[in-house]
Amino acid sequence: MELQIRDIANVRLIHVAGRIDHTTVQSFHDLLLPQLTDCAGETQKALLDLNGINYMVSGGWRVLVLAMRQCQQQQGEIVLAALSPFLQKIFPMTHFDTIFKVFDTIPAALAHLSPTAASLYSGAE
Amino acid sequence: MSPMTTITLPARIDSLPRGLALVVECATAAGFPPQRVIEIELAVEEALANICLYAYPDRRGEVEVRCLQDEMRYFSIELIDSGIPFNMLARPAPDFTVDATQRPLGGLGIPLIRALMDNAAYHREGAQNILRLTALLPL
Repeated sequence: MELQIRDIANVRLIHVAGRIDHTTVQSFHDLLLPQLTDCAGETQKALLDLNGINYMVSGGWRVLVLAMRQCQQQQGEIVLAALSPFLQKIFPMTHFDTIFKVFDTIPAALAHLSPTAASLYSGAE
Repeated sequence: MSPMTTITLPARIDSLPRGLALVVECATAAGFPPQRVIEIELAVEEALANICLYAYPDRRGEVEVRCLQDEMRYFSIELIDSGIPFNMLARPAPDFTVDATQRPLGGLGIPLIRALMDNAAYHREGAQNILRLTALLPL
């Protein structure tokens, strides 16, 4: 499990990849939440790219909810994008569809969050 | 059902990889496609983790992971422990009508197990908890 961070204008793009199971979920928590400290208002928004997650236990969803709550407390916005096929299958079972805004692609998510970031995004990763 | 194979492990989180490796191997050998094997693995991980965390509150213990296949189309994983009477399936499901941002964290594992497996059943036999998770093999 690994995180890659890329700041584009006022959007923090966080790529999450790998396997989030009971041996890695604590690391996921400890790596992700500090990246959201500055997620507030228009100053910084957060976009989680989840395309690389090939496996995630219930505790991983808990981390995402904690991330959502942290951003909300800071009046910040966080969205999810590009769910992997695995996550697309599991997501409806969590009943979290009412709290997470999910976009099919990163460009679509950026267009929602920040036109400036969307125009800067090259898509080349 | 004739047992395919079994492993007994310490009921600790660091035992999960070995237990899950057995399940993946058996489910793959049974003929499930890769995507279905991952779903079965996830359901078993959720259940095994609960056993490791809650079955032995005041002592160390073991958990047996047993894979079985019958002559029909049922592939089952039995998780057997000698801990306190513990039926994780009987825990109330999260109230999905509550705003998810206010919903207590945790408790998502059981709904996932039920959604991912074709059947989940618990019974206690003597001093053992026996959880059986079943998946139907594709035609």
